[in-house]
Amino acid sequence: MNADLHHLSGAYAVDALDDTERAAFESHLRGCADCRAEVAELTAAGHSLAALAQATPPPSLRASVLSGISQVRPLPPLPEDAAAPVPDAVFSVASGPVAAEASDAVVVPLRRRSRASTWLAGAAAAAVIAVGGLAWSPWSDDSGTLSPVDQVVAAADAVRVTSSKGELNAEVAYSRQLGRAAITVAGLPPAPEGKTYQLWFVGSDGVARSAGLLTPDADRRGSMVLEGDPSAAAAVGMTMEPAGGSTAPTSDPLVVLALA
Amino acid sequence: MMGDMTASSSGTSVPGEGALPHPDATASTTATASGQALADLLRRCARGDEAAFAELYDATSRRLFGLVLRIVRDHAMSEEVTQEVYLDIWRTSARFDPSRGSALSWMMTIAHRTAVDRVRSSEAARRRDDTHAATNQDIDFDATAEAAQASLEAQRVRRALATLTDAQRSAVELAYLGGYTHTEVAALLDLPLGTAKTRIRDGLIRLRDTMGVPA
Repeated sequence: MNADLHHLSGAYAVDALDDTERAAFESHLRGCADCRAEVAELTAAGHSLAALAQATPPPSLRASVLSGISQVRPLPPLPEDAAAPVPDAVFSVASGPVAAEASDAVVVPLRRRSRASTWLAGAAAAAVIAVGGLAWSPWSDDSGTLSPVDQVVAAADAVRVTSSKGELNAEVAYSRQLGRAAITVAGLPPAPEGKTYQLWFVGSDGVARSAGLLTPDADRRGSMVLEGDPSAAAAVGMTMEPAGGSTAPTSDPLVVLALA
Repeated sequence: MMGDMTASSSGTSVPGEGALPHPDATASTTATASGQALADLLRRCARGDEAAFAELYDATSRRLFGLVLRIVRDHAMSEEVTQEVYLDIWRTSARFDPSRGSALSWMMTIAHRTAVDRVRSSEAARRRDDTHAATNQDIDFDATAEAAQASLEAQRVRRALATLTDAQRSAVELAYLGGYTHTEVAALLDLPLGTAKTRIRDGLIRLRDTMGVPA
């Protein structure tokens, strides 16, 4: 398997892998220093070809780029090792009867197990592409007509985090001032018969609290304000659960977004 | 990790697998700005310095826009993608890690990935196919390039490309400049499935060793 993956280094370096292969290779990369070094070299080698394609952009592009960035706050640096801050705070998927019956959302402490690293490790990866700092438009005075989701998105201190996996795009906006978080998803097919999508706030202690159920519309889109206070959450995740929801996640997450 | 440090700027193939960046390699970035200067500009961007960002744009926009245009082909869409790329660069400038490659390489990686992602969405693919129906290995390098002809660097790249086998060169060009997946490259070149990725890798290794590209 490793030999096969090693041979993907060139295709990865020039973005010639499909999404599935890319994800597989990236997870291989995290543990393979040889491949990381090779990818860095081959990426630079590939970029040398761009010398053959230089073209002067129109001056109008410069103006729009510069005016665009003035409304966006640069993200802070990542911690030294993105995976390091949460080594113990892994989130475990409950297996077995513990999550069998649906009831009100309750905090369910979960055992920490080796397979569990997926959630917050995934969240750390998502954070790399996090979109922070909302481009707030003070001149839009339509706050009276904003939907509850848009009110969170448009909050003065709102931070947005995005993640995509294949077709699925998810964005969480949260505002500490409002004490609310909202999720917007696209590319989410209807849940199969007898199933539902469920959202979770995951604390840095690895505990998941239900944040409500989400039903996508016919266009595979959905949005909602999450139930509960996001202030103690390190991440928001979504799983597929039996209809009615579960008290703790019973399946691997479809998407995890780290709240910076 | 450092291999042969002797300069071989003539574009001839350096024998052996371990030949890594040599001092002459920095010459390749003088066309835009020195690598260190770009890295410094990025650091200032991370602190919200818009003047530094404007300088960064001026030093790199021909390179990034040209790359995006080559892949996306639609002019309006290329401008849109380029704007998205620079916004990303601004936003994530604090996350550039000089130990993992040059500033220019980091920026171009963002540009390449964004452009490729865009053309792989179905609508973009359709628009591109209209203007690019007859893709084959005869890529016209100068279709969109302005002034690249005169660039010493472009000559150097062409010489390096000439050291690749035809199959390696076609595979690398279709993947990098065409934005195709290795599976699509295999189909375009009538290669058995699974062999294009090897051609791409072999071609890039040859380029690296010939040009002494800094990682």
